[in-house]
Amino acid sequence: MTLMFLVHLWNYIRGYVIIIAKGDGIERFINICTRRQILLWDIARKDSDSVVMKASLRGFMLMRPAARKSGCRVRIIKKCGLPFFLHRFRRRRGFKVGLLFFAVLIVLFTSMIWEIEIRGCSRNVAQQIMKVLDDRDIGKGSFKIGLDPNRIAADILLNVDDVAWAGVQIQGVKMTISVQNIIPRPEVVDEDQYCSLVAERDGLITKIEVLAGTLKVKEGDTVTKGQLLVSGRLESQYPEFGTKNVHALGKITARTWYDIRVPLSYEHTKRIRTGRTHENTYIRILNMKIGLFGNRNAFDLYDSVSYDRTVSGPFNSEFPIGLTVEKQYEVTEKKVKLTAEEAEALALENARLALSKELSPDCRVLDERVNILKSETGDTCLELILECEEDIAGKEPLGGD
Amino acid sequence: MKRVKKEPDKRGKSDRSILSIGEKLAKLFELPPDLFGNRPKVTAVGRGEVLIENFKGIMDFEEGMVRINTNNGVIKITGSGITIREITSEAIIIGGKISNIDYDA
Repeated sequence: MTLMFLVHLWNYIRGYVIIIAKGDGIERFINICTRRQILLWDIARKDSDSVVMKASLRGFMLMRPAARKSGCRVRIIKKCGLPFFLHRFRRRRGFKVGLLFFAVLIVLFTSMIWEIEIRGCSRNVAQQIMKVLDDRDIGKGSFKIGLDPNRIAADILLNVDDVAWAGVQIQGVKMTISVQNIIPRPEVVDEDQYCSLVAERDGLITKIEVLAGTLKVKEGDTVTKGQLLVSGRLESQYPEFGTKNVHALGKITARTWYDIRVPLSYEHTKRIRTGRTHENTYIRILNMKIGLFGNRNAFDLYDSVSYDRTVSGPFNSEFPIGLTVEKQYEVTEKKVKLTAEEAEALALENARLALSKELSPDCRVLDERVNILKSETGDTCLELILECEEDIAGKEPLGGD
Repeated sequence: MKRVKKEPDKRGKSDRSILSIGEKLAKLFELPPDLFGNRPKVTAVGRGEVLIENFKGIMDFEEGMVRINTNNGVIKITGSGITIREITSEAIIIGGKISNIDYDA
């Protein structure tokens, strides 16, 4: 039956006619048609001497001799199918142009990448992958022609660290990038590489854990930067046995201090919005921005905030078409006198920001102290002292053996 | 050709239905009999449609009745709203509400 459906669809595409055959020898007419491979269907008796049936266009052309032989008169009642349907539009040029345009658009749009999915990796790695794609100008809206999945995968492998395998698949308008992370290699201690542990910064030792080596300090000692903490040279109790070198291992936890001085200033330039605004609107297609008329920079000094409005489609999808609205707020700069508390708060904030860059990543802040210092010249400073706890042991190769 | 000539004799001698060599072989090897020979195959599913394969031609097509010529005689199908849904040289599909399928009619 499905085959029959296909046949009928084919007939519709090729076009068919509904005909009425009149005469005595209708059975003979049908038999001749059948023998000549003319497909007839939906044959129904209309009245005593006429029959209605459907025939393909080609069949109808071949029907004439059969009709003459059987003495039937054949007349078309209705023409059906695509050719006749399209025939109606033959004069309408705009329709044809539109049809062509539509077809071209479909072909054009289906040969683009509309969606990129990155799977199997962290956000960080995904961003690196996106950067690689950006560098090669691959993104939403790039044409599939000329994109070689293997090449892209190779580029990702070469340019992104921590990726063991990358696979790129392009299905329809979607590009899927699957990534397999490398499992980080465990740190291997080469025990033949003799070394000692020295202090990486000044501090007060609070806790000692030594796995290998000779301990040179004790809890409560104050150490300076570069001081030997654990020696990699093992001295024997009896000098005749000599010394043995090891790879010193251990964790020396110490209390350390960080400090910074920030000058206090009682003046601060503040940007104040005047309340006047101006909006610029852009139409965004893919990554192109098309400005509308009337877009300008309205003020000399302004803060601008822009946000995107995207046309959203069904199933949480986003069309690559949207509006970008940039709102400009006029501002004036104004010098403001700060009170002592405000100035201190501002300086403290700056000091914290500056210090946080200096702290080593594994350090734990225990205490925070703030001093206000006045120098002889009259300048005021804010001093921030952080008391931390961290592992200060650093490796230093053992020289000379 | 000889065998074809003999067949009328056989019919005279026995009442058994005539079988061609192909059909005999089909019977011997237990193959479906419609693979060989040109006997009509009538398939009716429900009562809305009858498919007849191996037919020779239609003899009569009236309101509510169609007579189809086959190698085994004429098959008459009656019913209401009888139409020929489809006709090719191999098969014919009769549609409508079928009430009778008569052989030798």
